[in-house]
Amino acid sequence: MNRRRFLSSASGVLAADTLAAAPLRHPRSSFYDCALEPHAALPPGADALAAFGSKVRITNLKTFGVTIPGAPPDRPYVFVKLETNEGLVGWGEGTLEGKASAVLACINDFRDFLIGADPMPVEHHWQSMYVHSFYRGGPVIGSAISAIDQALWDLRGKILGVPVYKLLGGPNDPEGVRGYYIAKARTLDDLKRLRETASDKGITAFKGGLPNCYEWIETNQKITEAIRHVETLREGLGPEIDIAVDFHAKTSPTVASVIIKELEPLHLLWVEEPCPPENVWAMARIARRVNTPIATGERLVASYGVRELVEQGVVDIIQTDANHVGGITALWKVAALANVSAISMAPHACEGPIGMLASLHVDASIPNFLIQECCGQADPQVRDKVWEEWFGFPVMRMVNGKYPLPDKPGLGFDLNEDAFKKYPFAGSKPMSRVFHQDGSVAEW
Amino acid sequence: MPALRSGIQGREASSFESIRRGLTASSAALAGLDMAMLDLLGKFSKAPVYQVLGGPTRYQARALASIEGETDDAVIAAVVQARATGHRAFLIPVPASHSPNHGATLVNATRQRLDHVRSVAGADADLVLGAGGKLTPGDASTLAAAFERLHLLWFDEPCQLSNLSAAYRISSESVTPVGFGRFAAEAGIFQEMLRSDAIDVVRPDLGLHGITLCRRIAAVAEPYYVAAAPFHDGGPIATAAALHVAASIPNFFIQQVPYPMAEEDRRMRARLTGESLEMVKDGYLQLPRGPGLGITVDEAAFSEYREREP
Repeated sequence: MNRRRFLSSASGVLAADTLAAAPLRHPRSSFYDCALEPHAALPPGADALAAFGSKVRITNLKTFGVTIPGAPPDRPYVFVKLETNEGLVGWGEGTLEGKASAVLACINDFRDFLIGADPMPVEHHWQSMYVHSFYRGGPVIGSAISAIDQALWDLRGKILGVPVYKLLGGPNDPEGVRGYYIAKARTLDDLKRLRETASDKGITAFKGGLPNCYEWIETNQKITEAIRHVETLREGLGPEIDIAVDFHAKTSPTVASVIIKELEPLHLLWVEEPCPPENVWAMARIARRVNTPIATGERLVASYGVRELVEQGVVDIIQTDANHVGGITALWKVAALANVSAISMAPHACEGPIGMLASLHVDASIPNFLIQECCGQADPQVRDKVWEEWFGFPVMRMVNGKYPLPDKPGLGFDLNEDAFKKYPFAGSKPMSRVFHQDGSVAEW
Repeated sequence: MPALRSGIQGREASSFESIRRGLTASSAALAGLDMAMLDLLGKFSKAPVYQVLGGPTRYQARALASIEGETDDAVIAAVVQARATGHRAFLIPVPASHSPNHGATLVNATRQRLDHVRSVAGADADLVLGAGGKLTPGDASTLAAAFERLHLLWFDEPCQLSNLSAAYRISSESVTPVGFGRFAAEAGIFQEMLRSDAIDVVRPDLGLHGITLCRRIAAVAEPYYVAAAPFHDGGPIATAAALHVAASIPNFFIQQVPYPMAEEDRRMRARLTGESLEMVKDGYLQLPRGPGLGITVDEAAFSEYREREP
């Protein structure tokens, strides 16, 4: 290439004589080459890339819908198992409340993409699943990618012979990951007993909620009840225990601001989802008017979904969920994005055991980790017994206020799919449908 | 009126959107026309307007009694009477203030009025404090901050909207919800206030915006998680229109209903459109069930009450 032509093409402008001299090139498909004619599954470069990867190949993908009688019916577990030519298997979870069948179907939509693939380049696969899905995130695609991503990390750890948290640079604390339980109590006396239990077991934090559904403007009675409710939580649990209060997006910025302003003397660990998640400006409005830390993010997908919250300095704590955000890869990236702005991570998890264990590996390695959810209670529930039966150890049960880390490679467990036979999939079940006194639709 | 007549004669009532856009007339005339065309469309379809518009989204509508009165005694008397006729939420005027920036005097006078109202209105009563746009932004902000813990439903029209940035200060300086809208002629003003976090409840005037534009303003407020409570100081036909708005939008909170002190005025409203329309039970208005607006206007009574040209 002579110097003149190099300069002109580098500046993005072809000189007229070059254009005239160039042979007329037809576009590959048409002048509107916009995914109407799908490109080959293996684009140029795929073979070359493969030469730099491992010899392991994914040979099969299995999905499992699992319903535990007595557990919340809206969230049968969605598990994926990737099998390989080396005999290693990877497990992941994409449980999405109310939409189990849709996620199972979506995971299977990725089957052709995964069979024959090398499980090692998880970042590359994540990009392909997300970018090539065109419509980007959303909870169904996000949960499907999460399941596959976790299974790829499980395989990667097993291939490399180390637990995932070590691949991520952890653990921060060899004793495990700090967690909290739900404050399951109906009365002040229940709360006082819970305080004693916490003291005995080393539990350092609980989460409570609000007692009602709320319209976007609220009555004196309901606002007063909400404030008294949280004051009772503090009264019963005492000053030493950290208390988070989940508003569950039941309140508007207007109603949340009125309530939180009066809760400030209680020094809560955080208030969670004080308004619904679509409007970051609206959330910012609350943040500007109250001092209590604000946490949110369980419904968000990918670091893209979190960017505006971080940029606007709206939240103190981000709660993306390893089952929805895009697995370990995306949870780690959200943490990185948050860390730059001194935002802490308290990952949400209220689904099944695999996603929670996956979350622990990220928690154990990131610098800005605060605390991990598991929707468990101080006393073991039905699900805890079943999980122990499946995994052979008490999954997500705290010891001295921390979830112990597994020490096996990958996500750190052996799981036999036959264990699920006792718990056949009972189909998708809707989340709660809640209505106001006038019959109109309420946030739940 | 002649221009209006020629613009609508021969047109299909179902094209209420395109007809309105093609007309030049006062907002009030267009709002009335909008209600009338939707009434026709509903009657043609043999369905209440709220069904035509995608509802019902609720089966009853919370009512807000507009309390009038110069003195505390007059206000209290009206609240007692409204309470006795089923109302549970009351719009209470701020006491008249004769000069601006007398914060303490105004706060004390207002607190005294609100305390007095609460004592007669019952523990389950809710209050809106209404300034009718008559306070300075500074005085309004002082009141809003002073009453944060009273849990007012909201502070209504605390000041004029002539200087929007002054109005924004009220909501940034306290958590007391604020409502605006009665003096907003354009939907764009609502959008401007919403994106500036200056408003907690949109109050489009039914008499200026009709059913269609009130619904559209509510739709603008929805993605900000902001409720709609249409302003209404007109006649009972507009009350019917309001109920169809309430039952066709998701973010309705409460409907203001004029509450005339004079027995004669209340009787007139009942005669024009039927007694049940503005009846309130345990704080709620009931939805009309008939086609269209669901009311039968007594045209004979209409002429009886018509204001005579002097």
